[in-house]
Amino acid sequence: MAKTYDYLFKLLLIGDSGVGKTCLLFRFSEDAFNTTFISTIGIDFKIRTIELDGKKIKLQIWDTAGQERFRTITTAYYRGAMGIMLVYDITNEKSFENIKNWIRNIEEHASSDVERMILGNKCDMNEKRQVSKERGEKLAIDYGIKFLETSAKSSINVEEAFFTLARDIMARLNRKMNDSNVSGGGGPVKITENRSKKSSFFRCTLL
Amino acid sequence: MEASDRSALVSEDGKNSKSVQCGRCGSTVLSAGAAQFAERQLFLPSMQKKTSLGGAGHKGDGDGDLLTDHWLVEDMYTFENVGFTKDVGNIKYLICADCEIGPIGWHCLEDKKSFYVALDRVKHV
Repeated sequence: MAKTYDYLFKLLLIGDSGVGKTCLLFRFSEDAFNTTFISTIGIDFKIRTIELDGKKIKLQIWDTAGQERFRTITTAYYRGAMGIMLVYDITNEKSFENIKNWIRNIEEHASSDVERMILGNKCDMNEKRQVSKERGEKLAIDYGIKFLETSAKSSINVEEAFFTLARDIMARLNRKMNDSNVSGGGGPVKITENRSKKSSFFRCTLL
Repeated sequence: MEASDRSALVSEDGKNSKSVQCGRCGSTVLSAGAAQFAERQLFLPSMQKKTSLGGAGHKGDGDGDLLTDHWLVEDMYTFENVGFTKDVGNIKYLICADCEIGPIGWHCLEDKKSFYVALDRVKHV
């Protein structure tokens, strides 16, 4: 069957427990249905389709789903990741301080050319804010990473965040493509050329 | 499913003539023409809400349905929006990516080229 998309990006959500990573995965957090069955077994990943500059992009988004509590996020989880959302909670100072640890964890375990972005989540809870927007911006600048404050609850900047990360990944791929064209390498970096990777896909989840 | 209902949903070449959406929030799961109609008996656990389960009134019968009519795709990236549960044995269930209602579909890890969405668990628009 003809391929119906132009790019496939694997994205990860990383951050302390309780910062709202899971909520960033769906649009209407208060509307979540949570059947007994689904909430008992848990969600592994989601596929979302977005359009960017006329290109159809499939995002495969993984949530650590509690593994971070045990500090067991290792190379297996990061494998193949092209983008990482580093998420903290603006009402939780500790989760902000830990972003540096998460960045170190990424540097140890993830591919060196992974695109990163810092999100200060729960920005609808301004009255409980412990981390100013300026400190978030400063941290992001220090690491040369983009930054947004988001609210999964109020749907503020959530789509923008995923679009921004996807756009950065696409730009990186295009740069790579141009570099390889100079040296005689061929063709756009498209998913058909990576099909062989898919057979091992689910094994990545067996941590 | 009645034959007349089915012909309204399945095109002549066996594909979904309408887009497949979450019955609850309307999130698009499959674009029109993306999936193949397939008959296979699969058991899907109940989609009932947490609060309505466990009470004296809830219906038993193994808390689920044996469903026969499905939309079948070979590649998971054919889906517009969908969520996958963690493994239950060698099964992953499919859910709505937006409101997380489910299971709406079924995938066996031993068959990497089959992803099923039950017609009765979604709406067609």
